[in-house]
Amino acid sequence: MSNRRSRQSSSALRISDDQMIDLVSQLSQLLPEIRERRRSDKVSASKVLEETCNYIRKLHREVDNLSERLSQLLDSVDEDSHEASVIRSLLM
Amino acid sequence: MQPTSSMKEEFLQKWQMGLQIYRPLIDNTSVSERMKAIKLSADVAMASLRRGTTCWSRALIQKTATEDNFLVRQMLSGIKAETLINKKLPKVMCHRKIVRRSKKILRRRKSRSAIEEVAAKARKLVNKKTQGLRNVVPGGEFMSNDVLLIQETLDYIVSLQTQVNVMRSIVDAAEAGSER
Repeated sequence: MSNRRSRQSSSALRISDDQMIDLVSQLSQLLPEIRERRRSDKVSASKVLEETCNYIRKLHREVDNLSERLSQLLDSVDEDSHEASVIRSLLM
Repeated sequence: MQPTSSMKEEFLQKWQMGLQIYRPLIDNTSVSERMKAIKLSADVAMASLRRGTTCWSRALIQKTATEDNFLVRQMLSGIKAETLINKKLPKVMCHRKIVRRSKKILRRRKSRSAIEEVAAKARKLVNKKTQGLRNVVPGGEFMSNDVLLIQETLDYIVSLQTQVNVMRSIVDAAEAGSER
């Protein structure tokens, strides 16, 4: 196995399994889905990677949603009102 | 690894700075333009926390600069704005040649044991998933090294969590304030 690896010059293939295992377990610590499972349940690397993609997409959607809510707040609030100054002091 | 309070503070400061730049324009624009301004300044704020040390943050800054060059320059003034915006990201050509070469080598083998078959399938699945990751992480298409990709992903996720965390607190507080 190690012979095959050393012959190929690709950095993508010459990764030590230990390193990957460590990184994948670090990833699984960040994912709320996986962190909440019982420790006896083992999760495969490909599952962790898939969950990671889903989680990142979810975070992106949340940022979009929060940006939209904020922009609507700034819009719906009356220029000189008390609410406007509250929001402005929070943001600026 | 978690969003620290110093990360959150710094993000908030930078995001506020970005929003201040938009301040004179905010009152005269549409909701969708405002939303874009809010999101872009949040992204630049998040990326600038890393001061150009990670691939994803540089890629995100470059991407944002194509949408609003002025904003990025203003927000980054003092942190080598020019170099970050114009820095060339590595080409991905090398990676494709290597993959083609290794596929040829694999095809030449006459017989494979059952274990090797399973290992090959597992590796193929992992490659498919890492490709998915490259599509969501900024600059992922330039990370041919899987280890680098995952390291960048880890940092990117913590930064995203910081961004979401702070934005959520602000929006919740603002919404609560405007309901009274």
